[in-house]
Amino acid sequence: MVFLSLSSWIRSRGPDRYWKVQEIIKHAKHFRGRKNRCYTLAVKAVRRAFVYATKGRRLKKRNMRTLWISRIAAASREHGMKYPVLMHNLTKTSVQLNRRVISDLAITEPRSFLSLAKVARARQQEGFRAALGDGKEPAGIFSRVVLLQ
Amino acid sequence: MALYRAGLLLRTSSRLLPGNPLIFPAAVRTQSSVSGVLVPRTSLTNPPWPEQLPSVDEAEVLRRHAAVVSTVNRSIEQQDFGRLFAVVHFASRQWKVTGEDLILIENHLEAGCGERIRLEKVLLVGAEDFTLVGRPLLGKDLVRVEATVIEKTESWPKVHMRFWKRHRYQRKMIIVQPQTVLRINSIELAPRLS
Repeated sequence: MVFLSLSSWIRSRGPDRYWKVQEIIKHAKHFRGRKNRCYTLAVKAVRRAFVYATKGRRLKKRNMRTLWISRIAAASREHGMKYPVLMHNLTKTSVQLNRRVISDLAITEPRSFLSLAKVARARQQEGFRAALGDGKEPAGIFSRVVLLQ
Repeated sequence: MALYRAGLLLRTSSRLLPGNPLIFPAAVRTQSSVSGVLVPRTSLTNPPWPEQLPSVDEAEVLRRHAAVVSTVNRSIEQQDFGRLFAVVHFASRQWKVTGEDLILIENHLEAGCGERIRLEKVLLVGAEDFTLVGRPLLGKDLVRVEATVIEKTESWPKVHMRFWKRHRYQRKMIIVQPQTVLRINSIELAPRLS
């Protein structure tokens, strides 16, 4: 039987500062320069790294969303449509796919994405038709537009 | 070359035409090579709708819709679609899955290991020749996505650290989240499209 931790036990006599140092140093082993072996420098560097990691976990979500949006924008331009038009009309047709899935579809399932773009296009035309009406004045309303004509 | 010719045509035609009335005619050089509308084209120059909206025939639309539905129903009956994929909403996330997929969920799940569960919120099912898009969800009798709980484990310890320099403020917390691994067993379609 081999005791690999025997040398550590010998060093652990007295105050447990050695273990406190190792706790920090083990996170700094891959750092560059004296940070990876000098405790005073390593403490600062490890703390910085942990703070960056904590913030980065939040930032990753934000950055991924912008990435998906730019991917969808590029894919929707292929079908002659702008990103806001596509997303707005998909929302109007109550298609609740999120941006991650839509960008995945645009990359791996181009035919499904094309059908989504067609749905959005149809909804857009429908909306325009409803907003423009049949080009006539509504009955029973007398407006200045009529006077000018 | 074609572009250049078109530009030339546009230029000559605009010179032949009576032209647009300008507010300050003196402001424009008479010998200028630029002619036509001097206002730059922006997103608000033209309305977003096309000049002539395509007309819609209600009966034609209904007939086409019925034809598409019957064709898709027939292909579901004959099971001649290829490999299916589905987009399911599960654990507050949307997953694009296909059969035999493994998905990792960053949370605890009520079902125990080895239990078979059904993912009911299906947003989209794609086949080789058709895609069913739910608005927002597809019917429970139309599509059935099943999964098995394979593994329950914990994430690696994530260090949550906040630090405010020169304020003696430092907080460190180790976060370990429960995780669950699911295996997607099957995606089945029934010919119930209406």
